[in-house]
Amino acid sequence: MFNRKKFDWVLASLLIILIVMGCIAIYSASTTIIGKHHSTENHWWKQIIFAVISLTAVVLLLKLPMPIFDILIVPLFVVNMLALIGVLFVPAAGGAHRWFSFFGLHYQPSESAKLLSVLLVARVISKENLTELRQVAYGIALMTIPVVLILMEPDFGTSLVFVFSLLVMFIAADVPLYYILLIISPVLSIVSSLHWLAVVVWILVFVFLLIRMGLSWIAITISGIINVFLALIMPVFWNGLKDYQQERILTFLDPTRDPLGAGYQIIQAKIAIGSGGFAGKGWLMGTQKNMNFLPEHHTDFIFSVIGEEFGFLGSILLLTVFALFFWRLAHAIPEIKVRERKVATAGILAYLMIQSFINIGMNVGIVPVTGVPLLFISYGGSSLLINSLAVGVVLKYLNERGFIK
Amino acid sequence: MNRSTSAFSLKILLCLLFLFLFGALFRLQVIKGSYYRRIAENNFVRIRRVTATRGEIYDVKYRPIVINIPSHDLYLISGRVKNIDALGVFLKTNFGIEKEELHNLIFQQRFKTYEEIMLVDNISYETMLALSERLNYFPELVFRSGTTREYLYPNHFTGYVGRINEDEFKRYRQEDYSLNGYIGKGGLEKYYEILLRGRDGKQIIQVDARGQNLGFFRTDADVAPINGLSLVLSIDNDLQSFVQECFPYASRGAIVVSNIKDGGILAYASNPSYDPNVFMQRISPDQWAELNRPERPLLDRVCQGAYPPGSVFKPVTAAEGLEAGLINRNTLLAPCTGGMKIGNRFFKCWSSHGHGRTNVVDALRVSCDVFFYDLISRIPLDDAWRHAVSCGVVNRTGIDLPGERSGSYPNTEWYKKRLGRSKGLQGYKANLSIGQGEVLTTPLQINTLYAAIARGGYWIQPHFLVRTLGRGKLSREQVQPLDKHSFGWSQSTVKAIQDGLWAVTNAPGGTGRAFNVPGVTTYGKTGSAENAMGKTTHAWFTGYIVTDKPEIVITVFLENAGGGGAVAAPIASRIANYYVGNIDRFKAPAPIPDQFRDLEGEDENGMEEGFPHPSPHEDPAAVVPAEEDA
Repeated sequence: MFNRKKFDWVLASLLIILIVMGCIAIYSASTTIIGKHHSTENHWWKQIIFAVISLTAVVLLLKLPMPIFDILIVPLFVVNMLALIGVLFVPAAGGAHRWFSFFGLHYQPSESAKLLSVLLVARVISKENLTELRQVAYGIALMTIPVVLILMEPDFGTSLVFVFSLLVMFIAADVPLYYILLIISPVLSIVSSLHWLAVVVWILVFVFLLIRMGLSWIAITISGIINVFLALIMPVFWNGLKDYQQERILTFLDPTRDPLGAGYQIIQAKIAIGSGGFAGKGWLMGTQKNMNFLPEHHTDFIFSVIGEEFGFLGSILLLTVFALFFWRLAHAIPEIKVRERKVATAGILAYLMIQSFINIGMNVGIVPVTGVPLLFISYGGSSLLINSLAVGVVLKYLNERGFIK
Repeated sequence: MNRSTSAFSLKILLCLLFLFLFGALFRLQVIKGSYYRRIAENNFVRIRRVTATRGEIYDVKYRPIVINIPSHDLYLISGRVKNIDALGVFLKTNFGIEKEELHNLIFQQRFKTYEEIMLVDNISYETMLALSERLNYFPELVFRSGTTREYLYPNHFTGYVGRINEDEFKRYRQEDYSLNGYIGKGGLEKYYEILLRGRDGKQIIQVDARGQNLGFFRTDADVAPINGLSLVLSIDNDLQSFVQECFPYASRGAIVVSNIKDGGILAYASNPSYDPNVFMQRISPDQWAELNRPERPLLDRVCQGAYPPGSVFKPVTAAEGLEAGLINRNTLLAPCTGGMKIGNRFFKCWSSHGHGRTNVVDALRVSCDVFFYDLISRIPLDDAWRHAVSCGVVNRTGIDLPGERSGSYPNTEWYKKRLGRSKGLQGYKANLSIGQGEVLTTPLQINTLYAAIARGGYWIQPHFLVRTLGRGKLSREQVQPLDKHSFGWSQSTVKAIQDGLWAVTNAPGGTGRAFNVPGVTTYGKTGSAENAMGKTTHAWFTGYIVTDKPEIVITVFLENAGGGGAVAAPIASRIANYYVGNIDRFKAPAPIPDQFRDLEGEDENGMEEGFPHPSPHEDPAAVVPAEEDA
């Protein structure tokens, strides 16, 4: 139900600006100039078609009656999980099972899984009469399904996005902070086990925080012991692994360790962005891009093309637009009064934000994870459509303000 | 908790994350911008392919047939092209490369413009020296030394390699070919491409202009190339060169000699021949015309040409009669009076005098056509066809060469399709019985058939490869198991046919008495096949020699050269005499020479001693396993 007065024009305009910036970057990324020789792949107009389709889908979503939208979420989630299982049986492309391809189009089920999982988890954990423990348990149980399936692809970066948005949804659903702390504590214990001093500091901080949060002494003791045990057992477990197993895990967490594969791409992205300097080399003129040091620069490494051709100024402009866009999304959370929708909006914001941070961070060499496209900018139909729909969901919630409750 | 807390904390997080990115971008682009610009402009960081050395090819005594020799090649880096017109003029005047060709190359290379792509290979040293200075004007051009193939003698079995073309590059996308790579285009080079090729290595270049390691990657990540396997063939270079000299002047034909013991090919020659080395340079129009002249030197007449076999086919018909129990070795068939009436047509025997009534041994000895006319009139066509198929003269032998032709032998169905009837084929059948009409065989099939007869009816797939050298020493059976099977002939059948073949070359009146090799027992069969190519018959002779055990089988085939007994048998005789005269040398076991013994081990150092390849670039100072720049 479209409501002109309640429609968030600012958010919608920021979305369109991002998509347009993406098309400009993709046009450049699919163009190669050698001497006077000029050739362009057809990615850019495909992306424009995808953009039109995506925006149409957003409009249709806005017109969809809310009850139907609510009913659709569960079956779509189930179908999506089946697709995630199915994609594991598709022959690997580039070492991972991520896409279904038909008629030259790629569909990546993990993209739609992000949105649907967020919507479903939001609904489940926002039920009014749940205890906090149940909120946490249900949330984790539901999110484990897509996370495990996506880890099997393998796609570490995307799994991380799910975990992050789950934590943010817990906060938005008024789960006490010590639950969050307890959930992330094993990971921090494992990380801290790299150095004995880190273990000591971490455990002390951990216990201190729990005491401040007013947890019972029994709970503090148990969780403390578990974490100390984890931190102590990790080195033993790690040394028990064979060299190649260690190498495999490290490469999984940090692809730059594989210099002939992802590591090479990340270094080349850094060189591309760095060589762009303050003002950039000019649109279409990126030498790193034109000489094709980056094999996939229209997808995961599109930011490096922007950084190279538009320099620091251009990169900051894009960052600013992104920041405004997320700011506006965060701004929407208190506007929405229905608890489920508020939690869902927080989850959507979280996954969009962490995803763009991971992608840009990877391009500038501060985040090691790969396999996450830059939303609205990277070439790819399914990613653009789902991310636009996610924004569409928020726009829809804003439109529906005040109807129920 | 307050309702807007989550929005507030998300805004804080947003600010933190984006400040972080802002900082990283500022450091990368503003503080270190010029550093990265220099790296980008000079291609200091890239992955380079280290080409694996292609395996060489040796004869049975480890003497070279195909080797790698150094070459000078001109490469283009399309991403550095500034003035494409000047480049076009330069390449046109010096190497005859057309502008369109250059544009195509650049277009093909549009996704890897920093990679060097080969423009011209095998440039002479003088040309390279003369042009080196002009290259200063063209930073996109660079000379590199590489390797090329040298074929030590003209032949039809090694084939040759060539630059990979766009079709092949697409077809073998999974195989990691370089656009500069070579690929086998014919013969053994093509058939054993996978063994010969090896696997290219990869080397990470991360050194700046002063040779300092930029430290982006671990330095131990290079992938060493795995060199290709060398092939040891059953060919004997001495016999091969003798055989190649045996063709009469300006003749067209094929000679193949194989070892009866294991089916290995000892000599394999087709005339006129061509030199595979011509394919290693750009072929001039004159050379191209020469290769495509009417005599068709490129055609491998041993296994790619199928011809009417004539009388050398008669043992096939005889064996069917014997096996079916229609005759035994003493059965006398219709009297030959210089021919025989079949239906209402008179079929002539080659000798107008006639041979009288003959048994199978005599019929083979004098090559009497009438005996076989009469014999096949008692055999149903499809039985004869089935028998011919079982003798391996219809289907491909499966020799390890690409493009082998199958022979042909018609059956009822074939005639039905061709003539529209399956009755009244007596006349056609009569022709088939003496290897005329619709029967076509390759000289290789005939050679293999006679080798099988010499073994007492045991067929072994003919082949070149004996074993491979290098990492992973493989025998032929490991590379690809040989097809071996018995014809299932009875002892008496084998004996009757072998006696007939003995009589051809030894008994008075035998047609193949020119096959005369003192000191050994000889067997053979002549053939003079009428054909559509000319009035003169194709001359065939195929024979084998037996010392204390069967040795070699020689097949000589000459297009339109005359009678088999008069033209082909003397050539086979010369070859057999040469072989017998040097039999100790031919049969002496060949020890593996020392330089190849190193290769037998699995260690990589041995490989590098044996096969010099472009040595990987040495990193002067490189130990830090860093991911981040400092």
